[in-house]
Order: sequence, then C-alpha cells, then structure tokens
Amino acid sequence: MNAATLHPLARDYLKRLKKAAAILPRSGRNELIEEIESHLSEALPPGATEAEALNVLERLGEPGQIVAEAAPGAPLVRAGALEWIATILLLIGGLIIPVVGWIAGVVLLWASKVWTLRDKLVGTLVVPGGLALPVFLALVAFTNATSPGSCSGTEWTKSINTGTGAIHTSHAVVFSSHCAEKTSSLAIALLIVLLVAAVLAIATSFYLVKRARRIEAIA
Amino acid sequence: VIEYCVLALLQGGERYGFELVRTLSEVPGMVTSEGTLYPLLSRLRRAGVVETSWRESPSGPPRRYYRLTSSGRAVLEAFTGEWTSFRNAVDHFLEQETAA
Repeated sequence: MNAATLHPLARDYLKRLKKAAAILPRSGRNELIEEIESHLSEALPPGATEAEALNVLERLGEPGQIVAEAAPGAPLVRAGALEWIATILLLIGGLIIPVVGWIAGVVLLWASKVWTLRDKLVGTLVVPGGLALPVFLALVAFTNATSPGSCSGTEWTKSINTGTGAIHTSHAVVFSSHCAEKTSSLAIALLIVLLVAAVLAIATSFYLVKRARRIEAIA
Repeated sequence: VIEYCVLALLQGGERYGFELVRTLSEVPGMVTSEGTLYPLLSRLRRAGVVETSWRESPSGPPRRYYRLTSSGRAVLEAFTGEWTSFRNAVDHFLEQETAA
C-alpha cells in the first residue's frame, strides 16, 4: 500500500503512531502499524475530505491509547531514578570525577530501557564528556596562555624591567601587542568552541529528559 | 467480552481486520476506540485462537485476514455455554426484582 496516497492528516497520524509505538517490541510494532495503515487506506479513499479524515482518526483513537493497549501486562517502561542519574552524570559527572563520572553516565544511558538507540547515540556522541569537556578545554587554554615561553607575558616583563632606551621599549611593546593580537583571536575562537560545547551539553540533557518524559505521556 | 464477539464474528468464515473492526464499532456501546481493537486481534492471534494471512485483495490494499482455529472454536463454544447460563441466572434475579 502506498502511504503517499493517504490523506495528509492520516499520514501525520501514522507518524505519531510510529513514534508512540517505538516502545513496543519490533514484531508487534510492525504488525500494529501495518494494520492501522491498512485501516486508514480502507477507510479513506483517495480524495477524502478533511472532515472525513478527522472523523476516521477520531474513531481510531489516540495513538498513545492504541499503543498502551498493545502493551498490557508488560507494563510500560517509565523514566525513573536511573534516567535522572544518567542525565546528571552525563552532564556534570566528568566534573565530579574526571572521565569516570561521565563514563558511569554513559553506562546508565545504555542500560536504560526508556531511551531509543538514537537517543543513546545523541547522549553519547554530541558532547563526549558533557560539561567537563569545555571546562577541560578552558583549563588547557589557560595554562597555555600563562605558561612561560608563550609569546606575550615574558616580553612585557622584560621591557618593563629593563626600561632602558626608548627604542628598546617600543620594540618590545610592538612585539608583544602583535603577540597579544594573535592570542586574543585564538582565545575568541576557543571561547566560541567552549560556549558551543557547553550549550550543546546542556541541550543534550534537555533532549534526554524530554525523550524520557515522552513515555510517561503515553502511559 | 469483546474477544468473544470477535470469535463469534469469525464463525461464518474469515474476515479482514478493517471489516471486523467496523462491524464491532457499528454496534453502539461495544467499542470506544477502533484502533485499540487491532492490539486485541494481535493478542487473539498470539493466543492461538485465530490465525491470520496477509493477502492482496481484489479491490484496495492488501489485507490481513483472520480465521478461527480449532482451539478458537472450542473456546467460543465453552464461552457460549457459560454465557448462556450466566445470562439466564442474571435474568432470573432481574425478573424476580421487577415481579416483587
């Protein structure tokens, strides 16, 4: 059967059903979607009006209700302590115990039955390390900028300390300001990367919470 | 009870999902949401009281046809007996009430 010939409202309904049915075991899920798809194409001939489509969908009932009916006995998995702890560890676990804290979060993420494979990949790969990553980058940048041998710092002190000829000093100032310019553009670039990583890490947490709550909405 | 209505509908031969669902929902008071009947049909299949086959239809999209199995027939027979005696018992008391 061709889903493309379905009424747009029916197509939208199928999309919502597929989303809701993600919690069902694969075989049951496919059978259910197949049947509802077939139902829609039987009930709605090509060229059906919007009112007809709405009526058919109303008689069918909410996708969440149908999915809940398909999963009785096997109680619907709901987000619990595991999901909360996983989300928190993924975000800031690496700050509490470097590396290990975040890995613990990943283990819990993959152990959860609430999140789908896609959620788990997003949770793991979008910002590996969570907020610890931008913090770590900031630390690296800070130590690089202040470490001896980097171009600015030392030149400044030299020029101030010696303070001999005007020529010498101006030379040093020109050199160091050139250096400062270079580091500042690098610092801005780094700052942007840091901010993006931090925002993405927080956005990932929100995403995971939203996905975990989706199941509660069905139940 | 709807499960047994499905089995009863299949006594006369195989029917496809949409047909079953529409027949059931046309009787007022039986079904609140047509969609929830499909998971029910799937449970009946897993319980082995009906079997299904997915076939092209002469008109329209391919359909999943449902058919009673021998165990389905037995289940329906047993239920029919129980239901009849249950209904008679309830009727007995209801009629006594109105007579009194």
